[in-house]
Amino acid sequence: MTTEPTEPTEPNETTETTEPTEPGEHPAPPPPESSRPTTPDARPDTPPTTSDARPDTAPTTPEEPEPFADGPPPLPQPMLVLDGELPEEQPPAPQEEVDHGTCRCGGKFDADGWCTECGERRPEPRHHFTARPSDRVGAVCDRGIRHADNEDAMAVWDGGEGRVALVVCDGVTTATRSAEASLAAAEAALQVLTGATDAPAERLVRATDAAAEAVAQVGRDFPDSAPSCTFVSVVVEDGLATFGSVGDSRGYWVPDEGTPQRLTTDDSLAEEQVRGGIDRASAEASPLAHTITRWLGPDSPDHRPVITTQEVTAPGWVLVCSDGLWNYASEPADLRAVVREAEGRAGRDPLDLAQALVAWANGRGGVDNITVALARTGAGASEVPVPASEAGDAPATASEATVETAYPAAADAPREGQDGTHG
Amino acid sequence: MAEFTATVHQNEFLPDGGTDVHAIVSVTCTGAGTVTPMSSASGEAGEIIIVDVSGSMDVQGVQAAAYAASAALDQIVDGVYFAIIAGNHEAALCYPDGMTAAMVRMSPQTRLEAKRSLQRLAPGGGTAMGRWLLAAGQLFGTVPTLAKRHAILLTDGANQHETPQELSWAIEQVRGRFQADCRGLGAAWQVAEVRRIAEALMGGVELIRTWDGLPEDFARLMQQSMGRGVADAQLRVWAPQGAEVLFVKQVSPTLEDLSPRRTQLNPLTGGYDTGAWGDETRDYHVAVRLAPKAVGQEQLASRVQLAVGGTVEAQGLVKARWSADSLLTAQISPEVAHYTGQTELASAIQDGLRAKAIGDDATATSKLGRAVQLARETGDEAATSRLSRVVDIEDAATGRVRLRRHVDKLDEMELDTASTKTTRVRQQ
Repeated sequence: MTTEPTEPTEPNETTETTEPTEPGEHPAPPPPESSRPTTPDARPDTPPTTSDARPDTAPTTPEEPEPFADGPPPLPQPMLVLDGELPEEQPPAPQEEVDHGTCRCGGKFDADGWCTECGERRPEPRHHFTARPSDRVGAVCDRGIRHADNEDAMAVWDGGEGRVALVVCDGVTTATRSAEASLAAAEAALQVLTGATDAPAERLVRATDAAAEAVAQVGRDFPDSAPSCTFVSVVVEDGLATFGSVGDSRGYWVPDEGTPQRLTTDDSLAEEQVRGGIDRASAEASPLAHTITRWLGPDSPDHRPVITTQEVTAPGWVLVCSDGLWNYASEPADLRAVVREAEGRAGRDPLDLAQALVAWANGRGGVDNITVALARTGAGASEVPVPASEAGDAPATASEATVETAYPAAADAPREGQDGTHG
Repeated sequence: MAEFTATVHQNEFLPDGGTDVHAIVSVTCTGAGTVTPMSSASGEAGEIIIVDVSGSMDVQGVQAAAYAASAALDQIVDGVYFAIIAGNHEAALCYPDGMTAAMVRMSPQTRLEAKRSLQRLAPGGGTAMGRWLLAAGQLFGTVPTLAKRHAILLTDGANQHETPQELSWAIEQVRGRFQADCRGLGAAWQVAEVRRIAEALMGGVELIRTWDGLPEDFARLMQQSMGRGVADAQLRVWAPQGAEVLFVKQVSPTLEDLSPRRTQLNPLTGGYDTGAWGDETRDYHVAVRLAPKAVGQEQLASRVQLAVGGTVEAQGLVKARWSADSLLTAQISPEVAHYTGQTELASAIQDGLRAKAIGDDATATSKLGRAVQLARETGDEAATSRLSRVVDIEDAATGRVRLRRHVDKLDEMELDTASTKTTRVRQQ
């Protein structure tokens, strides 16, 4: 507590013992008490007591004398006693707003795509898109849970007469513009695969070239970017599936009966470790497992696809996917179990099944983007009747030879069945 | 030109049914420059020095305060408006001289005159800090072009000549009109009382043990103020419709609960004045309660913006994503964890000292014990050191302590005043 002396200390008494702050200047002695007001100036609006009442209401400890028993101590003249009168405050200026579209709640989106009312994210087609060109072919490309963006892409086609093409590309997250690059690559590859009738293996090589060129074009369109992506594709014709792959996206054959097969080999450090003798589970769990050794994009040693084939006349699924799915079911037998379980939930519609597989991967953590493209093979494909409205996309099957002529395979059909939302 | 950036540290994943989102938003200012007195673009700056001349200051104290004020004057850039108030139970205009309440521009001439005026100060009278604050508000009001208003307030005693209600009333009158850094000299002032002023006026409060420490501190304070080239900035916190902002706190470099400063900018956005900025980083802890959404859904939990003169200079987005993956949802952001600990440390210290002051030794021991434990957990060695001068630490890990029998009042006050200083997150 402050000790208030009843008699003000005489300023000059101790000046010799302290350091003067400026040469030649000493505090002046206080003026006569009679020149000072005996009470502080009253302030208007001072609650809850008046200034005159202040000495009575202010807390004082018993040992302290009444502060101003001898009248208030002096301040040196001619200092002005300030009355504390405050000026008016000015109101702040209003703000402008920019239009970024309207949310379904009625609020406006901000520049970052979040609603300014409810906080919902503006629908981003690139984050989740699907395709179902026929009742035999379906695909889902999904952002997953952990990634902020979706750098995966896919493009699929059903040309009828058992002719199918599936493409999946997985953009490299650490390379900028990979989302644009992977989509451009998948679409460019599908263009080649559906636009010619030469041997599938030859077409896959040309499709990979076209995809690589599309990636390079994105790199030229966006200076300072170095987009890269993986590539996996399968062409099904005459009961034979021809797979081509660069990177670590995969192709599988999952027949309803019989042994499932993995038809691609990863271009990855994990795969090199497996070849070196380390068991697959350990290799794929290592931190470097997803470091790929070949890709589409700058600095890749080459992008020639590794071609494999598989007879697919029996009922089953030709499946290509990104590592967002196979991370959780790498071995063919494991993947088959997952497919069987998903069929149990979603049935054998290719899109429903692809959605179910993506949902399963998201349920496992969804640490990466997830893309699944499926093609149903064999006579069993006709288990699901073709709705009349989708007849234009209807496939021909071996058991329905008459349909073949009724619905000639249209070369320009593939895009029609897709959502068309991801461009 | 000053540039602001904002970085958000959070775990955006919420468990199924989770509602509370916590984030640390780090706002960094670069290129703030110094106060530019003649520039009309950023507005002008004003400084007021308030020195306690109550009787308890004694001649030595008043002279030391005058010397310290002189040191501060030397740091004020020419062209900046300034004034000096001599405070006791009244507030007198020490400088400028004359009978007109006004601020004047600093120049070699006015600096010399001001130093001479300081020499005329003599101790006497009581303490009524509310009056000093009102007087400062009045003086700042004499220069309408001021964009940056800053005061240094020195006291050595309790606010005896005003009721607490009168002081509160005065604080509310001047809130938002200027910033004030407060300094308490010696052991006779009340930390809680001065902290109340400093918190309301966006300034710091520190203990100066003896008067010989004053000049250096005043010079440093004024230098710091001159280095704050951004006169005024506002933190803006948006939360979605139906959500509730639980709190907004500054957590670094010092702990300040900004919630009482909130002004409603629109139905979903609150504004929190942050005062002037130099080249520095300040961390804010924002907590928002959302209506839960389904697993897999995401939404924006908060937009945290820094606005200068009505223009948004930086923005951080706080997000929420609901997930069934407990590995994701169980993680706590290291920054959130650190500052939550530092906040609890400050309250444990303040609660403990308050209990000790009223003789509630059991509560004091338990609270200060918890403080010792938290200081250890958050790696706050300075706090541990200050605590060890008030309690004997038997086991820091479990927080077992004993109140020391003889404690230097100054050590206790220093523990109290420094309780709001936080350490930054240690880099892994």
